[in-house]
Amino acid sequence: MPPWWRRLFGGWRHASDIITADDGAVERPWLRRWEHLPKRSAGLGFTRADYAEARRRAREVARTTLGEELWERLQSQGYLDLPSRRRAGLTYRLRVGRRIEVRCAPGTRSPWPYDYLCINPAYPLPEEEFFAQLYLYVRDDEERILRVAAPQPWDQALGRTF
Amino acid sequence: MGRILVANRRGHQVVEWTTTDTEEARAQIAEAERIIREAREHGAVVSKKVDGKHVLDRSPFDPNVEEYQIIAPIAGG
Repeated sequence: MPPWWRRLFGGWRHASDIITADDGAVERPWLRRWEHLPKRSAGLGFTRADYAEARRRAREVARTTLGEELWERLQSQGYLDLPSRRRAGLTYRLRVGRRIEVRCAPGTRSPWPYDYLCINPAYPLPEEEFFAQLYLYVRDDEERILRVAAPQPWDQALGRTF
Repeated sequence: MGRILVANRRGHQVVEWTTTDTEEARAQIAEAERIIREAREHGAVVSKKVDGKHVLDRSPFDPNVEEYQIIAPIAGG
């Protein structure tokens, strides 16, 4: 919403809205339910321009989160590998917008029956933003990955990212 | 100056605060703390920037942290 419009109708905004640094109300997605959304969608009313802007912002923050070195590696090879801290010989291969690929060194047994782990965010996110978040989960909270991952026999795009 | 990157379908939105000793700064800090607490209560995780790198963090909100990020809860399938 343009600033002049918001000034004109500012009284309509809910009193609990939080104002961001760029003077827009923060959307707090944890307060909403998202089950009804079609796959790979941000919801009704999201225009092509909104998607483009969301992806641009997501790219910025993903780059900041990962740091230059990892970001460059991701751009050049198309994935990032993270060795498991819990199981020697097991590596998680993370790709933007896709399931995690589980790779095992010879002689290593995977804890899962299949090689792909389906893990989605609870609410819709641009896929590069979620990629960076998933990287943090795998690196810093592997227990959670072991607990929530849904193993699948095939690769596929994630349904909750766009 | 600290900030929270609130990841959402907009890419992310930013909430900022200053640590100066003013009423406005205290209100900003209280609001930032409330957002972090509320997100955690709803299953989200928080990361903070440490030595230029984001790490998942379970400690209470600290206004001296340069940058927090709210990380979406995850589910299998």
